[in-house]
Amino acid sequence: MLVAPLAVFWIGGLLLAMADGRRRDIGLLGASILSIGFGATALLGRDVLTNGALEVVAGSWPTGVGITLRADALGVAFSLTATGVLLVAYCYELAGRIESRTFPALTLFLATGLTGLFLTGDAFNFYVFFEIAMVSSYILAAYGEERRQLRAAVIFTVVNLLGSVLFLIGIVSLYHVTGTLDMATIAARIPIVEANPTLVAGTFLFVALGVKLGIFPFHFWLPAVYTGVHASVAAMFSGALAMIGAYGLLRIGAGMLPRDLAVSSPVLIVLGIASIVYGGLQSVARHDPSAVVAYSAIGQVGYILIAVAIGGSTGYSAAILFTIINAVNKTLLFLAGDQSNQYAGFAYAIGGLSVAGIPLAMGFWSKTALLRTSMVGDGYPLRVVLTGVMILGGVLSLLYMFQSFGRTYWHAGKGPALTVAPTRTVIVLLLAILTLFFGIWPDPLLALSQRAAFTLIPGTP
Amino acid sequence: MTLLIAVAIAILIGSGSYLLLKHDLIQVVVGVLLLSHGANLFIMFAGLQKGAAPIYPLAPNSAIADPLVQAMTLTAIVITFGVSALLLSLIYRVYIAHATLDTATLAGEEERQERAEETDESADDPEDDAAILVEEGRAL
Repeated sequence: MLVAPLAVFWIGGLLLAMADGRRRDIGLLGASILSIGFGATALLGRDVLTNGALEVVAGSWPTGVGITLRADALGVAFSLTATGVLLVAYCYELAGRIESRTFPALTLFLATGLTGLFLTGDAFNFYVFFEIAMVSSYILAAYGEERRQLRAAVIFTVVNLLGSVLFLIGIVSLYHVTGTLDMATIAARIPIVEANPTLVAGTFLFVALGVKLGIFPFHFWLPAVYTGVHASVAAMFSGALAMIGAYGLLRIGAGMLPRDLAVSSPVLIVLGIASIVYGGLQSVARHDPSAVVAYSAIGQVGYILIAVAIGGSTGYSAAILFTIINAVNKTLLFLAGDQSNQYAGFAYAIGGLSVAGIPLAMGFWSKTALLRTSMVGDGYPLRVVLTGVMILGGVLSLLYMFQSFGRTYWHAGKGPALTVAPTRTVIVLLLAILTLFFGIWPDPLLALSQRAAFTLIPGTP
Repeated sequence: MTLLIAVAIAILIGSGSYLLLKHDLIQVVVGVLLLSHGANLFIMFAGLQKGAAPIYPLAPNSAIADPLVQAMTLTAIVITFGVSALLLSLIYRVYIAHATLDTATLAGEEERQERAEETDESADDPEDDAAILVEEGRAL
């Protein structure tokens, strides 16, 4: 059961790698394999949420020797969102025309890497799945193979290779000080290890994950890449791939190195505030919708950083809820920003409202959770500053979203409607309806993020 | 021994980072390779104990080297190999498309492209703004 989604994506990817993905039937086959994998993840999720975490040791080795796969509420919530985003972005590309023979296979390999990463219980395996996802995304970044995409792909590859090297060094340092690669055992042994070595390992891992997330001092690659690549690939990167950073912060930072996370929480809060302000101001100054959304992505991850730094069940559940909702928002915005008819404009407006946190869109609930988090911060001045920054960030996002909306659609909307493939418009409208649906009925998302947060705090159900 | 290895890792990672900042994309690739080799050496010497090769039959009463780090290094080497092949092919495509491997020239081209796009935009910008202003006026 636990292996099913992984196996579906991996075998599907291997099979499709041999076929020509430009053909319509192969493209549809890819979509159905992705849907089957998504369904398998959803079934796994239902199982985990009703019966508790599942664990499988690969190759029937005894526990502690073999590599473990572990599915808990946190991993399942993330893998379900990431696969969903990949499925939507893939269908969007399929609704137009797939231009490269490797696109379906690479999407499936990306799904394999992400699912494996969210469901593994072994730190080195985390790195291996991380690399599977990254290598697929390096090639996806060049998708389209125009000059702009190639340049974006080179920047993306070099910067993220540097991130991977740092990540590897961090994981191995953790192995050296704890003598194990099993995440749960590392977490159990960290309290008896000297503080300084784990702090060094933690710093390496934080920088590597920060590069992935695109938080303030490590953001320099992000705008060039997100505006350079195809809209569907940008949606995959910003919706699914960036979740690695948030997941790593939660799983490694909060789950394995809570002591070091507590020590470094002032740093995280400062970087988070810097990201929110920098991303917001840069977005206001941009014209192109994809550049606006790219800088907005830098601002949005700042909230995750602040929520993780404050921690506790309120902070972690806010971080998880925000990451999930942000993934859907970014997918919606990148896909809708790619079209210029008025229906796509409607979807873009819903996405903008969701980013700004206006009621009825689901972003409202993530902003509410974040504000609640900022109220439980340590001490009165910090609470005031954080609440102020959250409100400032919200105002800035409302401003840049409506600027870019007006610029893109008010004028363009008067042209002949539905010039691009109508299926594409239907896909973004469905995403917009989903955003409104969860905005009106957020209970399942709130419950899921709460359950996922409890897996990070020992001693809670 | 530990100092020697530490210095070797420092040289590898230091020169790798230096090359990563160069303008020539081939030098960037060499930088990435040196960085990865530094990381591989780091993994090898992060082992928990040193000793004879961990191959059966083991000699009695002698320490054996930690086999796990060797397995990890091997995995990391394979990944590095694949990724650097990919990076080289990507750079080859860049060379075909732009006829240059110099990042400064590439960035210059990007700027030129952006400027060209901007002049396009500014051509219809006044009209745009006017339309938006009219819309806003109506809304008010």
